Amino acid sequence: MHKYILRRLLLLIPVMLGVSFIVFTMMYFTPGDPARIMLGESAPEADVQRLRDDLGLNDPFFIQYGRYVKNAVVNQDMGRSYITKRPVFDEIAARFPNTLKLASMGVLIAVVIGVPIGIISATRQYSLFDNISMVVALIGVSMPNFWQGLLLIILFSINLAWLPSSGFDTWKHMILPAVTLGTSSAAIITRMTRSSMLEVVRQDYIRTARAKGQKESVVINQHALKNALIPVITVIGLQFGYLLGGAVLTESIFGISGVGRLMVDSIKSRDMLVVQGGVLFIAVTFSIVNLGVDILYSFVDPRIKSQYK
Amino acid sequence: MKKRFLVLLSLMLIFSLVAVGCGSNETETPVAEEPSETPSETPVDSEPSTDPVKDTLIVGQGADAKSLDPHATNDQPSSRVSKQIYETLVNQNEAMELEPGLAESWTQIDELTYEFKLKEGVLFHNGEELKASDVKFTILRALESSHIGHIVGPIDGEKVEVIDDYTIRISTKDPFAPLIAHFAHTAMGILNEKAVTEAGEDYGQNPVGTGPFKFVSWINGDKIDLERFEEYHGEPAKVKFVTIRNLSDNTTRTIELESGGVDIAYDIQPSDVARVEENSELTLLRDMNLSTTYVGFNTQKAPYDNVLVRQAINYVLDMETIVDVVYEGVGAPSNGPLGPNVWASNQDLEQYGFNIEKAKELMKEAGYENGFKTTIWTNDNQQRMDIAEIAQNQLKEIGIEAEVKVVEWGAYLDGTANGEHDMFILGWVTVTGDPDYGLYALFHSSQHGAAGNRTFYSNDRVDQLLDEARVSADPAVREAAYKEAQKIIRDEAPWIFTWSGENLAGTRANVKGFSQHPAGHHKLSGVYFE
Repeated sequence: MHKYILRRLLLLIPVMLGVSFIVFTMMYFTPGDPARIMLGESAPEADVQRLRDDLGLNDPFFIQYGRYVKNAVVNQDMGRSYITKRPVFDEIAARFPNTLKLASMGVLIAVVIGVPIGIISATRQYSLFDNISMVVALIGVSMPNFWQGLLLIILFSINLAWLPSSGFDTWKHMILPAVTLGTSSAAIITRMTRSSMLEVVRQDYIRTARAKGQKESVVINQHALKNALIPVITVIGLQFGYLLGGAVLTESIFGISGVGRLMVDSIKSRDMLVVQGGVLFIAVTFSIVNLGVDILYSFVDPRIKSQYK
Repeated sequence: MKKRFLVLLSLMLIFSLVAVGCGSNETETPVAEEPSETPSETPVDSEPSTDPVKDTLIVGQGADAKSLDPHATNDQPSSRVSKQIYETLVNQNEAMELEPGLAESWTQIDELTYEFKLKEGVLFHNGEELKASDVKFTILRALESSHIGHIVGPIDGEKVEVIDDYTIRISTKDPFAPLIAHFAHTAMGILNEKAVTEAGEDYGQNPVGTGPFKFVSWINGDKIDLERFEEYHGEPAKVKFVTIRNLSDNTTRTIELESGGVDIAYDIQPSDVARVEENSELTLLRDMNLSTTYVGFNTQKAPYDNVLVRQAINYVLDMETIVDVVYEGVGAPSNGPLGPNVWASNQDLEQYGFNIEKAKELMKEAGYENGFKTTIWTNDNQQRMDIAEIAQNQLKEIGIEAEVKVVEWGAYLDGTANGEHDMFILGWVTVTGDPDYGLYALFHSSQHGAAGNRTFYSNDRVDQLLDEARVSADPAVREAAYKEAQKIIRDEAPWIFTWSGENLAGTRANVKGFSQHPAGHHKLSGVYFE
């Protein structure tokens, strides 16, 4: 198992090299001169050229990329933002805690809502509860986050004045954004839990368990649920990884300074080193979350554990 | 079995708790850096109106500052913060009049040289006294900056001369009449040499000025905290703390104003005007600013090399409708290249107005009776896209089939600089309030392309007038030259003169003493709560 984890972590190195190369290439060939964007339409060409020189943008592609990799590997320096002149690492580190909190709360809410409803729906397929929860889940999946967020703000911040509408200082600030994120993930998790459970409860061994005269709650919770969990965990992991990449719309609506907004702003302003650092960071967190999910599998299903060598 | 499952569940729980836990620890650090006396404002907990000792002014704007080093950026959100921290040699007040700032007085010694007398006893936030050497240091550093080099560009770096601690002489390479107005630009805030040298690359996050507020802390992407500078040389600021929050979502910013999360919200959107106006707890401030939005023609490309076609299009677009529909009545249709707040702007120019018959006549005269095909470029700015769409429809009236091409901002700036476009929509802010800033780069034939003249417009008489007004020391001569140039530009129509902008800010009703500067960077030192 340890070897397996170590191997997976080592695999991150080629992943990072590949990601950095792809991102660098894409940013390099995206039309729009970073220096011109930074200086705006009113700056004279001479100033733009001077800034291009300062930033090393006039060097050929491979020299720029080589310099980036060399700095990152040899000096552990991801460079400074073209725009704020802050170290890229600081830019991301300053925002990641907010994103992590938001994503964790969101996923927690999603799991707490989604898994139980999915189980109940599956055990009472086509019942009123099932139908209602599936419709609600469908609405949850389809409802755009920004719209739901605004509705929540209007209700809880303006009309009822219970919760603040933006910022991220106290737990009160986190409720609305976490609910906004959590409910849409919850809908996906509900549907996944339900379909996975439905598949499992039709298996022979469930029929056997029932035939033995086992209590229904034991059949569901011990025999069925564990086997149904694998795809559910996958979805939860994907959702969590995805949210760690930043929930741009939710962050914007609630005025949260997170990784998502940083990335969007940086892409718009062609702040290449921040985009580069940010994508690498997201790729690594995503890989680590995936690894975590794979490890979780082995707890759920001992057969899988034996494959991790 | 059951045990395993419990283990799994608890693992999941621990994982989420750890994630939440370590998250909150990390963010507490920057908060803890704030001085303990800063009251943390939680809008819901403390109703602003019932709080007897409210001494923190919270302002919301649409983006975070980029850097508080005035030489490292030239963007509005940063200027709005820098304005509170730094001061310039010359002030430009809300009526756009130039008045003494850090310089008590100035005299023009010859056509190239000005002498500035500095106010004595002015302290920087780090305790250093303002000396002429700081001014020299600032100017030389600004000349090196690619962000604001063009604002000080006319100055001759070799001829910045410190006469004594409080006297400095500054010369330009060529006569440059708008120089004093350039010294009032927020980018020309005077820096302290020692502070800049000590902070090195991190100066942008550790600004030191002479202004009424000093910098306290910056939570990256979120907010900047300022505190009243008690040793300020002028009238001290009325509130003790200022927090400038980054609320990029326009709706959120208005909602924060409504719910009391901010005391002042900048850049209220036209669609929110009614909401703010109708709310008795809020006040909406509306003032014409220095910006203009225009639809430009590529005047070197057929058929736009024909002045008749350009005029015809000016007649066929109904600007009143555009202002009503796109800007929901905010701002005004423009009649020429400069807005009303710019000095020597020619407000006698006649708007083209909506006149289809005249447009058809001109098209016929130009030989384009049956119209032609063209493209209108715009970036993904909602209002510009709306203008493009309306223009597309109205152009059909004279047989012009226009395709709207939405181009990403970076590519847009590149493409229009290279002259790849037919028609395009852009804006300009004459931030110094001097017509030189608003005309030279946009219409002088030496400025084609990236320098600003993206219509590639050339007119010898306009060049001559702009050159003349740039160097003349006589305001009357300058005014006459600019007015004539604007008349020619209006008649030759390299632009469709579209919209003069308006600054909209909303304040809570208990906020007093706030007024807007046409350039958009509003002073906060006079603001207080009632």
